[in-house]
Amino acid sequence: MRTTVSGEVVSLTGNGADSAIEVRGLCKSYGETRALENVDFTVRSGEVFGYLGPNGAGKTTTINILSGLLDRDAGDLTICGLDIVQDPVAVKRRIGVVPEESNLYPELSCRRNLEYLGELYGLSRAARRNRTDELLEAFNLSDKKEAPFRTLSRGMKRRLTVAAALIHSPEVVFLDEPTAGLDVPSARALRGLVQTINRNGTTVFLTTHNLAEAEALCDRILILVKGHAVTEGTAAEIRRRVEKATSVSVVFSDHAEVEMLLEACPAVHSASSTEGTWCLEASDSHAALTQIISFVEQQGLRVLEIGTSTTSLEDAFMTILKEDVKREPRP
Amino acid sequence: MNQLTSALFISRKDVESYYGKPPLITWGILFPAVLMLAVYVKDPATYLDVAPGIIAMTLLFGNTSMAAIVVTFEKRSGTLQRLLLAPVTHHTIVLGKAASAAAYGIATSLVITIGLALMLGMTVQNPLVFTIGLVLGAGVFSLLGLTASVLVREVFEAMTLMNFLRFPILFISGVFMPMEALPTWIKPVAMVSPLTYVVELLRFGISGRCYFSSPWTCILAVAGFLALSWSVAGLAFRRNANR
Repeated sequence: MRTTVSGEVVSLTGNGADSAIEVRGLCKSYGETRALENVDFTVRSGEVFGYLGPNGAGKTTTINILSGLLDRDAGDLTICGLDIVQDPVAVKRRIGVVPEESNLYPELSCRRNLEYLGELYGLSRAARRNRTDELLEAFNLSDKKEAPFRTLSRGMKRRLTVAAALIHSPEVVFLDEPTAGLDVPSARALRGLVQTINRNGTTVFLTTHNLAEAEALCDRILILVKGHAVTEGTAAEIRRRVEKATSVSVVFSDHAEVEMLLEACPAVHSASSTEGTWCLEASDSHAALTQIISFVEQQGLRVLEIGTSTTSLEDAFMTILKEDVKREPRP
Repeated sequence: MNQLTSALFISRKDVESYYGKPPLITWGILFPAVLMLAVYVKDPATYLDVAPGIIAMTLLFGNTSMAAIVVTFEKRSGTLQRLLLAPVTHHTIVLGKAASAAAYGIATSLVITIGLALMLGMTVQNPLVFTIGLVLGAGVFSLLGLTASVLVREVFEAMTLMNFLRFPILFISGVFMPMEALPTWIKPVAMVSPLTYVVELLRFGISGRCYFSSPWTCILAVAGFLALSWSVAGLAFRRNANR
């Protein structure tokens, strides 16, 4: 169980049986700086789990601990039922990691990079060749097969780095800001590939600063702020937790009195009109729309245009960050 | 998957990426070849006294430098992290990296040796002891280079760190003069330098005589240094490779 920034208690959804990653009480400090403080979460098998937070929140530290690059100070964690400290080689066989910066061998060709990693993961010669060809094809890099990695564009480098993480068909893939710095077509193509990887049954652990991307890709999201997990759930759940008002914009066929409007629509708590367009703030959008329709009928008006705007994940994220700042200092 | 096979793949990749490149091979051979030529021109009668020392020095500088450069470069480019993410142990990485650096050192030293044999008529009386000296020495010096490389971030830092070790031991290890000719007070210090034993093994291999009563003393001493360097390098990798 965890208390969110809004004060509500959110149940951890993992049940252990179908979880790909289980993290309990994870702590890590760099000297006096606490990078991770008692972080708990569960990633279910086959889901895309978004791990979001501002710079310095502890996202990469978490990935480095989970992938065995960094030792934790405290906490229990298992990946596919195995502990990375007790059995690092077995865990590394089951995971693939795409770090924030592409880290393949610049002097080696795309094909040789993949084949070399295939060698390290114990693939047979035939399996290496087949898997390399399959990945180069899937990632649209077949025509760059013999090109040295350093000569590729940034988008191609990211694609090959993702392909490299999949050479051994891992059960879990960690993607650390995979689309950072990519142009729109490259980022879109990479998001499509992430969806394909996930559809094929691979669990995806994704960090990103692009909240629209997180919303589009992730089944569930955890928001980390200064090393603390502050909320977790689906994008819709997180939005709802911080949602305070829905904005309704309406254009009536004729003039309406603001006092009468507010009296007829108790769900609307503020109303203003600019050049015939009403902007109404409502705590409950469903109730507000029902009341507005009743008001229109009573007044003999017609609705020419109507629309609602709800809190985006980005709005929710910003609200969570602001609330977290207000909550400081932590005990 | 056998970790030994993984070490072999790591070595092969390093030879392909770094050690097999012509500029590196040339660099490794030119310096000792020119030095040897200078010694020969100065006094053709005594060049054989210095030859084992220069071959050992080729190993020392070639292996420590290249191992340190390769690992520091891979740390900077992030490719060492890629290796750390693979299902291999730290000791497998150390073995793979050290083996490729050692192969480079042995190859360049052999080129110098063959050059001396063909051009100046040098003979190797005991090829087995000579080879053991080359292999053990290359192992120790490669592991020293690897250890230095993971303790620092930049190549120049690794070189500076190595120079603190390399230059002092050059003067105390019988490289430029036989052990017998070293001042008495230096001799006890020479006994704690792995280079001393490597030089004496190579000297025994070339001339059939060495400072110690038996080449076995040197073999055991260098093997001891090898075991120590292996442990230290493994520990250094585990603690510092990802920093």
